[in-house]
Amino acid sequence: MAEKRQFPFAEEVVLPPELEGWEEMYPPQRLFSEDRAEWEKKHFWYQDKIHAPEPMYPLDDIFQEAWQIALSQFTTRVFCIPPAQGIAQRMFGCYMYICAIEPPPGEVIQQKAELFEKRVPYTFQNYLKQFEVWLERFQKLGKDMQQLHVPEELPDFVPEEEVIPIPKGTTDAYDLIESFNTIINMIFKAWQYHFQYLNLAYLAYLMFVDTARKLFPGIKESTIGKMVAGAEVSMFRPEEELCRLSRLAAAKSSVKEILKGDASAADKMNALKNTDEGREWLEELEKVKDPWFFVSCGSGWYHYEGSWINKMDVPFSYLQSYINRLEKGEKIERNLNEISEERERLVSEYKALIKSDDDRKSFEDAYNVVRSIYRYAEDHLFWVEHWLHTIWFEKIRQFGNILTKYDLLQQADDIYLFNRFEIPMLLEDLATAWACGVGVPARGPYWKKKADKRRKILEAARKWNPVPALGVPPEEVSEPFTLMLWGVTTDKVDEWLKGSTEVDTDVTEIKGFASSAGVAEGPARVLKMLGDVVDLKPGEIMVAPSTNPSWAPVFTKIKAAVTDIGGLTSHAAIVSREYGLPSVTGTGVATTVIKTGDIIRVDGSSGTVTIVKRA
Amino acid sequence: MPEQWIYWFSELGTEHNDIVGKKCANLGELTKAGFHVPPGYALGVAAYERFMKETGASERVLKYLEGFHADPENVEDTPKYETASKEIRAIVESIDMPPDMEETVKKYYSQLCEETGIENQFVATRSAGPASHPGQYETYLNVSGPDDVVQHIKRVWSSTFNTRSIIARARLGLPLHHDPIGVAVLTMVDAKAAGVILTVNPVNGDESKVAIEAAFGFGEAVVSGNVTPDRYLVDKVTLEIEEKVISDKGAEFVYNPETREMEYKELPADKRKLPCLEDIEILELTKIAKKIEAHFGCLQDIEFSVSMSLPFPENIFFVQARPESVWGKKKKESVLGKKSGFELLFEKATTPIKLKTD
Repeated sequence: MAEKRQFPFAEEVVLPPELEGWEEMYPPQRLFSEDRAEWEKKHFWYQDKIHAPEPMYPLDDIFQEAWQIALSQFTTRVFCIPPAQGIAQRMFGCYMYICAIEPPPGEVIQQKAELFEKRVPYTFQNYLKQFEVWLERFQKLGKDMQQLHVPEELPDFVPEEEVIPIPKGTTDAYDLIESFNTIINMIFKAWQYHFQYLNLAYLAYLMFVDTARKLFPGIKESTIGKMVAGAEVSMFRPEEELCRLSRLAAAKSSVKEILKGDASAADKMNALKNTDEGREWLEELEKVKDPWFFVSCGSGWYHYEGSWINKMDVPFSYLQSYINRLEKGEKIERNLNEISEERERLVSEYKALIKSDDDRKSFEDAYNVVRSIYRYAEDHLFWVEHWLHTIWFEKIRQFGNILTKYDLLQQADDIYLFNRFEIPMLLEDLATAWACGVGVPARGPYWKKKADKRRKILEAARKWNPVPALGVPPEEVSEPFTLMLWGVTTDKVDEWLKGSTEVDTDVTEIKGFASSAGVAEGPARVLKMLGDVVDLKPGEIMVAPSTNPSWAPVFTKIKAAVTDIGGLTSHAAIVSREYGLPSVTGTGVATTVIKTGDIIRVDGSSGTVTIVKRA
Repeated sequence: MPEQWIYWFSELGTEHNDIVGKKCANLGELTKAGFHVPPGYALGVAAYERFMKETGASERVLKYLEGFHADPENVEDTPKYETASKEIRAIVESIDMPPDMEETVKKYYSQLCEETGIENQFVATRSAGPASHPGQYETYLNVSGPDDVVQHIKRVWSSTFNTRSIIARARLGLPLHHDPIGVAVLTMVDAKAAGVILTVNPVNGDESKVAIEAAFGFGEAVVSGNVTPDRYLVDKVTLEIEEKVISDKGAEFVYNPETREMEYKELPADKRKLPCLEDIEILELTKIAKKIEAHFGCLQDIEFSVSMSLPFPENIFFVQARPESVWGKKKKESVLGKKSGFELLFEKATTPIKLKTD
């Protein structure tokens, strides 16, 4: 290509008129601007379909804000990956665009190299001990968040004990303001912790991929994924607990019959309360609920996804299918031993193929480095994106509830239509009106009108097909996340340039990552949300935007998996490999191009999905 | 112990290389190690020597050569070599084997027919030089009946006097009248497909891969390059078939019972682009190729045949295994440069990825 390869700049993109006013939802530092134009135009921005595949609700944006800081600082200031800088974000048309920032000046790379050489090996060598500290600290943070006091209502008069013998000095109205400020700090802190080891885990993985490829030029990334993946990681615990509860239920006939029925989870739990067996089982459930049912029904990034804990119908539908399978004499658990044995077999057989003693030693060493820390990539996900986010969403709903109660919002979830800098205004408005006495108005109509307008903008944004990228593609990239998560490669950029914005439903073949080997053909079932899982029939091929641990039980029903988002280490990829299902991830367009009922062929060895016959 | 000059494959091993030639020794080694080799026997180099000496064939060839002068480096002299080759081969092939030799060869043949349960079993007579000269001597396929077998063994011997071979010997200053080789007499596999396996990816030297090339019919089609074969690439560890290139194979090399000759027969249009091997066969070939490689302890270049009449997996036969000659010879030096895990990590952390290709 002789012409300059580039995408339009943000100001050259014409947004649909329905998006008018979208900018006010996000703080100014998150927008493209005249004053930073020179720097912004030097960089290549692409839509982050991994973390922000949908239009961004102002409050859900908080995780993105937090990771922009946290991810970047560990690369630039803490572990000092020499040529890499951070990842910057910009909101545009309610979608999030990100860029890997150009490398720093040579002398900075030099300085960082010295720090890296000292800090990084030490951290790897001490990771196991350090992770225990990390986990303890993280769990404390989550527990503290659960403890935060968010009043359900503001009292007409404060209770006696807050005055006599000694005044408390503050009121619930103050607690409301303080708790919100505190929870913001907590979520930011949680995301600081999130990246404590992740950059290094990904860097180690990339290093191992390079090492393996030097020795075996044709080795597949899915094979490398199998070599480094752990079997017993927190990510899979929710599902393991479900299996355990299913076996317990299967052994108690009264419990089994109730759980096999089609009633709602709430009705089933009520029915279980009536028998000794049922109560015993419920006790077991209660024991594992926190943390293991604090798992999102989605990615954990959006407030409307919900978690098992507040959508008990989801885990209960899995329990129902597990119990049915147990009755047929099927095995429901992932075989951890098999996974570990297979991993060890792969590693030792590849190792045996290396003829040079020096290389074998280097390979082993490289493998040990990646294995020592890679678990973090799998473990942190549960604790941060699932457990803590579930707690966060539950708490934020409490703020939403009280704002709704006093008519500042129409419904609790409308709180997400305001960003984290605006919500303190609503809370102050409420506290002020309450403090000023009876019959003092707050600005409810103003906030509600704003919320309505934003709701409409977000709906319009959902219908808009955002441009895949903005600006000039980079010369080179060294930022580990960019390479690993977003898979930004020359091919990917070319694909975007070809204008893959126009989704062509005439296509018969789509490409993605060859995540789990094998070929399967069958009817497609497009699941946009986990709730759609009730329609899934055994033997269908699942086509979904992406999956996460709460989807795990789905994998026992399907023939193959296809996702829009996610690479070789995505949840769908990992679980497919474990179940031996062919899987193609990160196609970008599968849920748009494929329709439920289409007969598709999934080739997980080549990363191709073919539409054999349209429904 | 009288000098032995004929052996069943099962009596041979790699150590017999100089006695029966490379191919026979390897077939013996494979047979003994339990690999599925078509049944057969070998005539050692001693058989060649006996025949040439006892029947006076050597003398007659020497006599003919007394009047022969040509310059092997001069291309214009090639026709002289061609004429000499024709005449010497006619001399050799016209001479009968010593009677006891002929009897023994026929006895082995009838025992082979007994073993396979087929009267006048088709066999191939293949040359086996003690040193490897791929493609220099000749092979005859679909030989059937005791007299024919005897005749074709002599033809393999006489192929040491084909034009290629005498020019080659002349260039090396070796005696022209004498080049003892072994002969393998092995059962023909009624091949529906055949080809070659390398226990390395020939493109990049990746030793974790097995590369298979195969076409319909007999393996000569692939070895000679007359047919564009299907290509399969399989990972040795995961046993995943990672690449499958199905070619338009055009024709297959098969036996024509009317002319009693091997010939290239055009494939019908609907068969040309069909894969000639099934996945289950590809995987079986891979597994056994790995075992053969492990047995010999080096990268292998293997020839195989898949029978059309036998059930899987008995339909898979191995007809040749030798060390792979390109990557196998490369000195195995370190590609990672003795680096520790952290050194590799540092290397990764300091090397940006170039994205732009233009």
